[in-house]
Amino acid sequence: MNAISNKMLLSGNHAVSWAVKLVEPDVAPVYPITPQTPILEKITEFEGRGEITTELVTPESEHSAMSACISASLTGARVFTATSSQGLLLMHELLHYASGARAPIVMFNVNRTPASPWGFWPDQLDSLSQRDTGWIQLYSENPQESLDSVIQGYRIAEAVGIPTMISHDAFYVSHALEVVEVPEKQMVSDFLPDYEPENVLDVEAGRSFGAPIDQMTWNRSRQELAGSFAKVEDLVNETGEAYGKLTSRPYGALEEYRTDDAEVVIVTMGSMCGTTRVAVDTLREQGIAAGLLKVRLFKPLPSASLRKALEGVPCAIVLDRNYSPGMGGILHQELKSALYGMNDAPRLHGIMAGVGGVNVPPEKIESLVTKYKDAPTSVEPQWAE
Amino acid sequence: MRELLIIGRGGQGAQTAGIQLAQAFYSGGSYVQTFATYGGARRGTPVTSSLRVDDQPIRLRCDIECADALLIFDETLLDKLVLKRADSKTKIVVNSAKASDAFANLGDYNITTIDGRDIARQNNMGKVVNSALLGAFIATLANLEIDTLCKVIEETAPVKHQENVAACRQAHQQLSKAA
Repeated sequence: MNAISNKMLLSGNHAVSWAVKLVEPDVAPVYPITPQTPILEKITEFEGRGEITTELVTPESEHSAMSACISASLTGARVFTATSSQGLLLMHELLHYASGARAPIVMFNVNRTPASPWGFWPDQLDSLSQRDTGWIQLYSENPQESLDSVIQGYRIAEAVGIPTMISHDAFYVSHALEVVEVPEKQMVSDFLPDYEPENVLDVEAGRSFGAPIDQMTWNRSRQELAGSFAKVEDLVNETGEAYGKLTSRPYGALEEYRTDDAEVVIVTMGSMCGTTRVAVDTLREQGIAAGLLKVRLFKPLPSASLRKALEGVPCAIVLDRNYSPGMGGILHQELKSALYGMNDAPRLHGIMAGVGGVNVPPEKIESLVTKYKDAPTSVEPQWAE
Repeated sequence: MRELLIIGRGGQGAQTAGIQLAQAFYSGGSYVQTFATYGGARRGTPVTSSLRVDDQPIRLRCDIECADALLIFDETLLDKLVLKRADSKTKIVVNSAKASDAFANLGDYNITTIDGRDIARQNNMGKVVNSALLGAFIATLANLEIDTLCKVIEETAPVKHQENVAACRQAHQQLSKAA
């Protein structure tokens, strides 16, 4: 049965703010940056009207915002922040700290080109280059998914004690206004258990957090983190399924769209999944058995599930809206390593499509499929433009 | 699916107009998607507001390459680059004091002009042209009632609600007659 919800016309960014309103975290340290700022503006409006009890902190930089997030989280507070591009890059040092300190912060990132040159365009390099900081990473296709993923993000992050970053693309999602179903606050409160961590910073109880340690203790902290990361894929699937029971909108780590008997599967993340669905439908009408494999959970990459999804598929084309200089598309590289040693692996092509926010219409995706579907594996990544 | 583009300069209200038009189509029962693209917060530089309208959920997340209709807030924006996103079937409405014939040299396009600034002045709106332009624009589009749009404008205009609505109706009437 569906819980009660209200349909509203919301941009992707304001959908995130509404999720924050429903979760009502204890503390939200946020610094503004285009194109994330509407998230902060709307939260500020809610706070100004007394509609949320969240303590809004507006420090002098993203570095300070993340520092405040970590401290607040370690006191046992539920914490939210949001950023984009340069702001996320400025946080980099603290991102490692947050995961090491096991602070289950939920952060929203709006994917935007990093400088230089200066730009404001959709490109996922900002968050993908935080791959090794120990954060769970989810990518969202549309405003509805952004709202839903923030709510689920708290349940995921707090269950394993790992900070969670959810990203959506600049403009195509962040500034896209469309119908969003906003759940009732009660549904969200019931869905999210109270956050009651075992160990918290407390002036009444003397404890050290993050104190200097010996080699083996540091090593053990990483093995413990690895143990928690190993639970994330199942947790994302269970959480998405439970959410689906309440809203009729189930989510998982991966999503397969028309992949049955597919001769070619397009693998991508974020907003490009929507356009790919349209391209897949057109290709199917033309008699080409195409499908989409959407990667919602990028970190930890669900390697075994990806192998299973692509087993026996003759050809897979990765569309990467990012370019790691000297290497290529990051999802392509990750997928190559996930499929390594697989007997029945598809011929794999890594295409950098839409890097820097260049437009990728469905016709472009259709022409890439036609070009690569029968070609031998591309060892080197290819530029679509 | 219908794809519409509104092109203006930062500060003119093209983004607001896109949102108001989306709200009007939505309250008329359609699925909508609108997004604005701009290169940072600079007044006076071109801003594009894109709008998709359909009877089913919209999945596309890309630019509109060739629009069904185009609203231009400022005739100096009507250049070759903008016209690349139109063809002979695209209904183009331009804010200009000139007659439509003045743009015939641009090629085989369906261009209609509306003097948004004059209508804004007559309705005590100063230089604020977006409500007048929206009224004119929907006169060229099917499936959206002027009353639905005026209701949205009345609810969402920050000030001068009645003046905005009056400007919208006047421009709509002017182009409806012309059509």
